[in-house]
Parts: sequence; structure tokens; C-alpha cells
Amino acid sequence: MTVLVGYVPTPEGEAAYGAALDEAQRRGEPLVLLNSPRSGAPVSADVAPEDTVREMTTRAQASGVELQVRQTPHTGEIADEVLRVAQETDASVIVIGLRKRSPVGKLIMGSSAQRILLDADRPVLAVKP
Amino acid sequence: MDLAPVLDGFTVVLEPTNLLYCLIGVVIGMLVGVLPGLGPAATIAILLPITFGVEAVTAIIMLAGIFYGAQYGGTITSVLLRLPGEASSVVTVFDGHALARQGKAGTALGIAAIGSFIGGTVSILALTFLAPLVAGFALDFGPPEYTALALLGILLVATVSSGSRLKAVIAAAIGLLLATVGRDAFTGGERFTFGNLSLADGLDFVPIAMGLFGLGEILYNLEERHTAVHAPATVANVWPSRKDLRQSSGSIGRGSVLGFVLGILPGGGATLSSLAAYAMEKKRSKTPERFGHGAVEGVAGPETANNAAATSSFIPLLTLGIPANATMAVIFGALLIQGVSPGPQLVTQEPELFWGVVNSLYIGNILLLIMSIPLVGLFVKILRVRPAILAPITVLITLVGVYTVNNDVFDIVLVIVFGALGYLMKKLGFDPGPLVLAFVLGTLLEDSLRRSLLIFDGDATEFFARPISGILLVLFLLVALLPPVRSAIVRRRTTSTETRTKELV
Amino acid sequence: MTSPHDGAHTPGSPGGRTAAGATSQGDVEPTSAGPAHPAEPAPSTLHDLEEAVHQLEAEAEHRPPPAGLGTNLVVAAVVVILGAAALLGSMSLGAGSAGNPGPGTWPMIISVVLVVLGIGLVVTARSTSDAERFSGSTWLVLAGLATMVVFVALISVIGFEIPAALLAFVWLRFLGRESWRSSIVTSLCVVVAFYVVFVAALSVPIPHLF
Repeated sequence: MTVLVGYVPTPEGEAAYGAALDEAQRRGEPLVLLNSPRSGAPVSADVAPEDTVREMTTRAQASGVELQVRQTPHTGEIADEVLRVAQETDASVIVIGLRKRSPVGKLIMGSSAQRILLDADRPVLAVKP
Repeated sequence: MDLAPVLDGFTVVLEPTNLLYCLIGVVIGMLVGVLPGLGPAATIAILLPITFGVEAVTAIIMLAGIFYGAQYGGTITSVLLRLPGEASSVVTVFDGHALARQGKAGTALGIAAIGSFIGGTVSILALTFLAPLVAGFALDFGPPEYTALALLGILLVATVSSGSRLKAVIAAAIGLLLATVGRDAFTGGERFTFGNLSLADGLDFVPIAMGLFGLGEILYNLEERHTAVHAPATVANVWPSRKDLRQSSGSIGRGSVLGFVLGILPGGGATLSSLAAYAMEKKRSKTPERFGHGAVEGVAGPETANNAAATSSFIPLLTLGIPANATMAVIFGALLIQGVSPGPQLVTQEPELFWGVVNSLYIGNILLLIMSIPLVGLFVKILRVRPAILAPITVLITLVGVYTVNNDVFDIVLVIVFGALGYLMKKLGFDPGPLVLAFVLGTLLEDSLRRSLLIFDGDATEFFARPISGILLVLFLLVALLPPVRSAIVRRRTTSTETRTKELV
Repeated sequence: MTSPHDGAHTPGSPGGRTAAGATSQGDVEPTSAGPAHPAEPAPSTLHDLEEAVHQLEAEAEHRPPPAGLGTNLVVAAVVVILGAAALLGSMSLGAGSAGNPGPGTWPMIISVVLVVLGIGLVVTARSTSDAERFSGSTWLVLAGLATMVVFVALISVIGFEIPAALLAFVWLRFLGRESWRSSIVTSLCVVVAFYVVFVAALSVPIPHLF
């Protein structure tokens, strides 16, 4: 039983992390941080830089939460990766950050948050910054 | 020395079209250096069709810009991401990335930019004085000298190229064979054309280069497993301190000279000079333990050397008509397409082209220095594009581009065939560079050889009777025979040492 | 990057490297494979450097493992056969002589050299490690080549637009593992861009449907 948070270095991701930390503390479960970039390009804006990871680890320690960071790249859709890791870590809740998307934006680019919400087989906590 | 043609060269470079193409070349070069995948040789090959529509000077200015621009681009990823973008920037990873981890990425990039600029400038100055001398000396060359020179050039490139020597020479031999396809210049008979009309005029250089270097590399990269993904790096302090500059001044000086010398040698080139410069700096240093942990000399030396070498590798091509490495071979081909025959007569017969290209190196170097630091952020953003998206676009550019050369679908077939060949060669350890080099030199070599034999009445020993061709051929034999002899001797020494040790025990 | 591997270097060869950065080995006696090294008198710092460089490149590129003896022998055999075929071809063209070279003289010289070198490859086949094994990823390359063949086969018949879109789509979706949606969208954008540049702007007489 763990708390799984899908993180990217954005305000939405930050909000998700904060909420996930609270959840993990409340439930007394370890926190799994999934920061998985799309495999392929050498550089990705989705990867959390080292000092951010360090800072988040310190915050977790201060709250008495056991933190596990996963940064391995994935292929395909991030939504599938989140759901796969949720299954693997036996997550009791998935925490994600929500970003406002226009209907056209959702049509062309899709919404991974929407896919996670609709396809998850466990509770999902969607947070706004 | 007559300065008039040199100054005329500047007038040529400063024409708006040429300036624009210089800028385009340098930017594309930096891009190519940053992005993993295509190298400068492949990019120049793929862009060959563009050279048809412009003047010779303009085309070569752009292609040259791509070449030395790529030397700098590779530094950016080496320093920031520990990902060498170009083979000549691999050494920069050791100390450059260490500096970045200490928060001094700007120092590393700044030193690299300054060193590259100085190295390039020193090389160009030396080129300006040396090239006409060499060309003048070579005007006395006859067919025997050219035979020996071409042979030596091909062998040096095959021998000094990274990879199995044996396979590189085999690649060169295949290149020479391919050059014989078509009509024989002396007798007019057809060779190896198998009745195919398209082959009657010989194999066209452009599809071969585009296929071997362009498509071949893209196909080869398909098998690459993806590397680690990094967060976009921030570059804080953008300029090196005075202390750093003083510390690196020696390495920059040494790197310039070393790079210049190694670049002229066929097969030498930017990669070898960056390695040699690093090794030299480390050996000379009183505190060699700093190397690998952020020694500025470890960045200054190699970066200076590789730009100096990239520039000086133009000398054999522009003065003797002998390309010093694979990229120069492609540029040689580009010149042939434009109807320009590179050789010693180039300086005197086409001074505008010669000095236009040489002087564009100055301008291009300045452009690089100006643009390098501000554009770093942009290039890191560009690295976010997935190679999977760029690959099909590049493939289509190649396929459609080769069609535009002759409006012949057969060329597309050729480029695909050579693309497959290029893939197989890289996969199996054969460097395609010597093949292209031998292909462009093949006609010249055979021509000179047959003329020489006619002059000598079939007596091949006459080659050694003439001083220049004799010396060159002796060098050729030395380079060809020395390595296998050396390893055979050493092997025997090893076994005798081993038997001695066994006896002692 | 394009530098091929050194003949003596095996990808994945021993030598610990920390993540913090390469440790260039200085003047330590090199211990890597190769008959020359134990008795080599010269310091070979350059060689150590080359080893470190190759290791860095191998890490960055993650290529398949080296090929086995079978592959090396086949390659060598191909070279020998190629040389022999060229030899026969050049002799039929007229070998001529040193004093009177014919059209077949020069190709003959090269063919002989090729055969000799090919035999050299056979002899060294056991110790050759710079060829790569043909693995599962090779299918990707074959697929890529197939799309190009289809492209050139269809281009004269139905113009370049459809084959180009197909090629781009296959490369994006199957070779690049992009999503269906973005593969389709990108393919269409690419074809449109090519049309605008080559047909509309440059008026290249490439066969086109629209």
C-alpha cells in the first residue's frame, strides 16, 4: 500500500506533490514519486533536476514520510505508465496535478489526466495549483 | 606576398548572399553538432543538392561553415549533459562536465568558445601564408607525383581512421572499384555497366555520398538504444574568470599548433587532435590529478585543437586537391559538381573561389564566437525534440533531394542501395569515409597511374627515380607495412617474455 | 556520433566508471586486450585516453553486442568473392600489361588487393570484435529500408505524396513509437510541407498526384 504521485516540474506537479505528501502522512504509507520522461530525446522538460529531487526528499524526511523516487523513462503514453506503476506498487491512491486545457487542445493533444481518471482502478486525487 | 587576391577574397565573403550562407552553414553546423545522430559529413552530403542552385563560392562557404560549426556544437552537450554530440568533443566531457557539475558550466563553454575561436584564427592565418606556398610547389607535379600523392592520401586516411585498419583499406579498395564503373577515359570502352544505360556515364557521386553517409547513418541509429534523459540544464556564470583565462592561455597556444599540424595530415583531423591535445596537457601539467575533475586546460586544449584541425584540414584539399578526411572528400565532390577541379592550380586560376572560401573561415569563426553563448539555451531546448521525429523528415529530405539533382528516379534507387550499404558497413566495422574518399580520388589516381606508366614505358621503378614521387611512395610503403610488422615483432617479444617468466618460476 | 569502434575494443569491456565522470587513467600500465601491450615500452597515455573515450561513447550509444565468428567469416567471404568477381570481370576487359595498360589493368590490381585483404579478414576473423551482432533491433532497420523501397517503387505511379506520408507514418509510429494520433498528424504536416517547398515554391518536377 503506497501513495503514488505523478510529478513534473510545473506548478501542477508541485501542488500534486504537496497533496501527496499530506496523504502519505495521513495514511502512514510510503510515497512513490513517479517522474518518468518520455524516452527518446536526450533532454526533456519533464525530468526533475537533481536539486529539486534533493529538496523534495528533504521535505519528505521532515514530514516523516518514506520517499521512493522513480525516474526511469517510458515509451508510449504517460497515462499507461502511471497506471502500470500504480499496479506494481500497489498504490492506494494516485495523486495527479490538473491543468486547464481547452477543448481543442484536448482534441489534438489528448489529456493524460483524463485518461488516468477514466481508466484507473483505484482512487485518484486530482489537485489544482 | 601579393595581398591583393587575399583582400579581394574579403570582398567576395562580405557579399550579402555569401554572408547569409556562411551564417546558415554555421548555424546548421552547430545544430548538427548538438543533436545526436547525424554528423557533419552526413549533413553536408544530404545538403549537396542545394549546392546546385548557387555559385561555387557560396556553396563551399556554407558547407565549410557546417564543418567547423559542428566542432563547437558538440561541446555544448558534452559540457552540459555529458553526452558527446560529436566525436571530436568526447574528450571535453571529462573536464567540461566536471566543471558543469561544480556550477561552472558557463566557464567551460566560454573557454571552449574562446579557445575554438583562437585555434581557428591561428589556423586560418597559417593557412593564408602556407597554402599558396604549397600550391606553388605542387605546380611542378606531374602524373607520377599525383599517383604517389593520391595513394598516400588514401592509405593515410584508411590507416589513421578509427576502426580496423584492414577494413578501412578494404573500404577504400571498394571505392576505387566503384570509380571504375562507367566509360574508360583512355579507350572509351564500358566497364562494369552490365548493359545499364544509367551506369554508362559512371556512378554519380551525389547519391553515393548521400546514401552512405546520410541514409546509412540514419538506419544505423535506428538500432541505438535510448540514452538517459536529462533535465534541461541552466547555464549560470556565462564567462570565464581572468584566472581561468590565464591558466588556459598555454593550453590554447599549444592546442592551436597541435591542431593545425594534425589537421593537415590526411586521416588526422579534429578527433585525433582533441585526444592528443588532452593527453599533452595532462602530461605537461604539474598537477595532473586535477584532470577529470574540472581542469580548465582539459577543456581549452582539446577545443582549441579540434577547431584548428578542422580549419587546417582544408589545406590539402584546396592546395593539392587531395581530401584529408571523409568530410573533405564530400566537399571535393561538391566542387566537382560545380565544375571546379581542386588542385594546385586553384589558387592561381580561381583566386576568388580560393580566397573567398579561406576568408569565409575568418568570418564564420567570428560568427561562431558571437552566437555560441547566447544560443546555448536555444540549443538545449532543441534537444527536447525526439530523434524519432527528425529521422523520417531527414530520410524524406534525402530521398526527394537526390531526385532534384538529375530528376531521375534511378538516383533514388541508388541512394537507397548505398544507404543499405552504408548501414551494413557501419554495422560490420567498415568506415564508409575511406570508400567515398577513394571513390572521388579513384579517377584521378587511375588517370595518373596510366599516364605515368606510359611515360615510363611500363617501367614502374621509375617512380622511385623521381625525388618527390619516390619519397611519397617510400612513405606509402612505410605506412602500409610498418603496423603489421610492428605488431608481429611485439608479439614475438611477448611470447619470449612469457617463456622467460615461466622458466624463472 | 559516427566514429566506428576501435578494432581492439569490445563494447561493455571492463573498467569501472563512476557516474560522476570519467577517471582518466593517467600513466597506469594498460591492462586491456591486445597482444602488443604487456611488452609495449611507451607510456600510452593516449591509448588509455582512447579507451576511456570508447567507453564513454559505448555508454552513450548502447549498441548491440559484438558479432560472432560466423558473421565475421561471412563478411570475409563476401569480400573475397567480390574481389574474385571483379578480378574475372577486369580480366575479360583486357588486362593489358605494365607498358600498355588496358581498361582492365587498374581494376585487376584493385581486385587482387581486395582478394588478399579479404583473406586477411578470414585469418583475423576470430579476433575481430568491431562488427555488431544482428539482433532484434535489426528488424527495425529492415522495416525502414522497406519503406524506402516502397517509396521509390510507388513514386512514379502515384506521385510522392502518399508514399511519403506512409513512410513518415511507419517511421513515426512503428520505428519511433509515437502515438497514433501524433504519427498521423505529423505525417500529414510533413507531406504538406514538402509539397509547399518542393512543388509550389521550387517547382521541382517530382511526380505528384495533387
